[in-house]
Amino acid sequence: MDSTLISQYIISGIVIGLIYSLMAMGITFIYGIMRIINWSMGEFYMIGGYLQYIIITQFLGVKQWYIGVILSMVGVFLLGMVVQWLLIKPMFEGTVGRRAEYATIVTIALGVLFTNVAVIGAGPFIYSPPGYYHNTQIMTLPVSGTRFIAFIGTVVLLSLFYLFLKKTWWGRAFQGAAQNRMGIQTAGIDVFRLDQIAFGIGVALAAAAGALLAPEFYLHPRCGSIATMKGFEIIVIAGLGSIPGVLLAGLLLGLIESLGSVFLNPSFRDVYGFLFLLAILAIKPTGMFEERERVA
Amino acid sequence: MENLSETKISKLKRGFLLLAGSLFVCLLPLWTGQYYMQVFTIAFYYVVLASSWNLIAGYTGQFSLAHHAFAAIGGYTSALLVTRSGFPIWMGMFAALLSSTLMGFILGVLCLRMRAIYLAIATWAFAESVRIFISMTYKLTRGDLGLAVPKVFLGTGRAVACYYLFLGLATVTVLLLIIINRSKMGYYLRAIRDDEMVARVMGIHTTRWKIFSFIISSGIAGIAGAFYGHYNGLLTPVMVDFSEMALIVIMVVIGGIRTAAGPIIGAIFIEILTETFRGFGEIRMVVFALAVIAIARLYNEGAVGTVRQFSRWIARRKQPRGDVT
Amino acid sequence: MEKQVNSLLQIENLAKDFGKLRAVDNLSLGLDEGEIRGLIGPNGSGKTTLINLISGVYKPTSGGVYFLGRRIDRLAPERITQEGIMRTFQVARLFGDMTVLENMLIPAFTQGMSRRQSSQRAKELLDFSLLSRMSNEPARNLSGGQGMLLQIVRGFMRHPLRLYLLDEPFAGVHPVIKDVMIETIQKMNREEGVTFLIVSHELTTIRRLCSRISVLHAGQLISEGTMKEVANDPRVIDSYLGG
Repeated sequence: MDSTLISQYIISGIVIGLIYSLMAMGITFIYGIMRIINWSMGEFYMIGGYLQYIIITQFLGVKQWYIGVILSMVGVFLLGMVVQWLLIKPMFEGTVGRRAEYATIVTIALGVLFTNVAVIGAGPFIYSPPGYYHNTQIMTLPVSGTRFIAFIGTVVLLSLFYLFLKKTWWGRAFQGAAQNRMGIQTAGIDVFRLDQIAFGIGVALAAAAGALLAPEFYLHPRCGSIATMKGFEIIVIAGLGSIPGVLLAGLLLGLIESLGSVFLNPSFRDVYGFLFLLAILAIKPTGMFEERERVA
Repeated sequence: MENLSETKISKLKRGFLLLAGSLFVCLLPLWTGQYYMQVFTIAFYYVVLASSWNLIAGYTGQFSLAHHAFAAIGGYTSALLVTRSGFPIWMGMFAALLSSTLMGFILGVLCLRMRAIYLAIATWAFAESVRIFISMTYKLTRGDLGLAVPKVFLGTGRAVACYYLFLGLATVTVLLLIIINRSKMGYYLRAIRDDEMVARVMGIHTTRWKIFSFIISSGIAGIAGAFYGHYNGLLTPVMVDFSEMALIVIMVVIGGIRTAAGPIIGAIFIEILTETFRGFGEIRMVVFALAVIAIARLYNEGAVGTVRQFSRWIARRKQPRGDVT
Repeated sequence: MEKQVNSLLQIENLAKDFGKLRAVDNLSLGLDEGEIRGLIGPNGSGKTTLINLISGVYKPTSGGVYFLGRRIDRLAPERITQEGIMRTFQVARLFGDMTVLENMLIPAFTQGMSRRQSSQRAKELLDFSLLSRMSNEPARNLSGGQGMLLQIVRGFMRHPLRLYLLDEPFAGVHPVIKDVMIETIQKMNREEGVTFLIVSHELTTIRRLCSRISVLHAGQLISEGTMKEVANDPRVIDSYLGG
């Protein structure tokens, strides 16, 4: 097999892997601040996609898809804050042990809730938003327009997210909270506020992925479960709490799936990623780039 | 606090309810037709899954999200052995028990040192792997098309026979779990859940008991899955879909986690509602999900907990004033 | 007067590092059977770390812990408990969702005591410590002081109990409960020969209970002796004043 073909597959793997990362980023970010896992991330992805669809088809039109993405993100951000305030925050006040158990039960139920509301609201149909861009190519690799856009969008979002974390006051506050929650409180920062916003940002990232990928992977009430699957695959591989780790793991997953499909059987695409995941679970159950044990 | 006669009365009440309930389920086939027998048969299947999950997640505190996968492992093991190797069904079931217990052991060992969050993710990953494996190895398992499974009990009266079979399975499971809970093991598991380090310092071999609870719960789930396969005649990867796990969680939480009756009530209640409101499938799930969220949010203990709180409230109302110290 | 000393616990050159922090530094200490020893020192001097090392919660970086001549420092906590060593925590760590009685039963069960025996001993201990009326309450409903008392009494379920490590049992506890604690400790020491190592900041209580006191500072043992000896030791005065 010649090298251009291989490099094409590598590029393809990188493209899809990066997009997967966006999903996982939200999961790990929320975990970093609140130490909980949101099992309904996929449903926020779905909501983002549906919002985008509505915005494009009813209001803005396809040409301004990027505004749609932004609006979807904002909408889901607000939804996330409300959900956090109603459901998650009480867990952190007062004497509640067993946060993990509570968070798991509640977020699983939330996922079920959203999925079924979507079926009731939008029907069990598959929606296909119009493509954002014409087909093009990255270097020599032909790429669908949507995937290209999704890739660019992901790069932009991840870069912005990175800048946000490193350069802004809020971002540094989040980093601080992730490292030492109690310390941040003594510094006078309202951790509960941070929690709420972190949750909003996390689900907004998932929504962005949903909005960007809607034309590629279509919209239906259960499309979130696939997103959840990819997101958590990355989380297991990367370990929790490491943002660069998520990026690397996403790329790794994309590459493994891509190369596996090429050299082995393409219909087992999803299997390769999971085989790798199982290997990681067996060797280093806490993931490749796991965070250090937090003190306090 | 209740005085002595109140305790006796409440015990009598519980005994009466238990008796009434048992009579009801034992005699059900006499006054209902096939349809309701089938509904209850499936309900009993879920009673087994919910109760056994309650052991590992509710009592031991190991919030596994792989329970449905063990049912699938058991189901497919038995089905495949019977169809492809000509094993008799009872041997298939035994093999199902072995395979799901073994996988439970492996998963239990992997998850030993994991904190709650990692345990949830690792068990989720395990379950998804099982699902994908079953889907992908379609040459063996017929993947999404479904695997035809030889039925147990053929001919007329099948519905009744299966009904009592599953009733028996559910009864044995519940009794076994009650015995475990009242035994020393039950104490150890609950202690592990409350504070594992203190449990160790008190002399509990936490590793041993954690693995043990994994083995028992996965074994039970495996047998249930095998029973289900030979009852239903068809197995598909849908049974190891995450929504099945979500359903188990919902059943246990609504019924009352960490109670013996909770999973029973939850499973039967939800399964009956599911069938009754078939037409309104999604709305019912919305209601269940909201109920779970409300229960969790209000630290309620599900149906059983509500009943207990209610009877305590009544008992307190009945006490003459000035009695409370 | 030369007494035949039976060394129950022998700690030799024990050290524990947490990364760059040396929490316990080349510590050697011996406990005689039947003693009630006080362990004092400023905050961060390594007292709790030492308790954790003896009870198996931490593994030492170097050095050894010997119990009745046998080395125990690499054993799992549950194995160390089998030797007859129990401990309490600075914060009352109970099995919150289990009742007070059930909390008491656990250490007896792990020893192999029958249910009947365990219940009987539990009831006796609960009666003596005035906790019986809370027997069927979930442990998390106890007040802070009651919880600490339960922690302590729970350890006495172990029979025989050779060594009991108490980590700040009196901190913030109501005086009435503190008296019950002290009585219980003394009774157990007298009647069942339990050896105690008690970490505390409350010097008056320590003086009342303990025959000998060991003083830690920055992970090292800087003084040992009777309360009077230790109180007049310039190194001790320095460490408390110097901080």
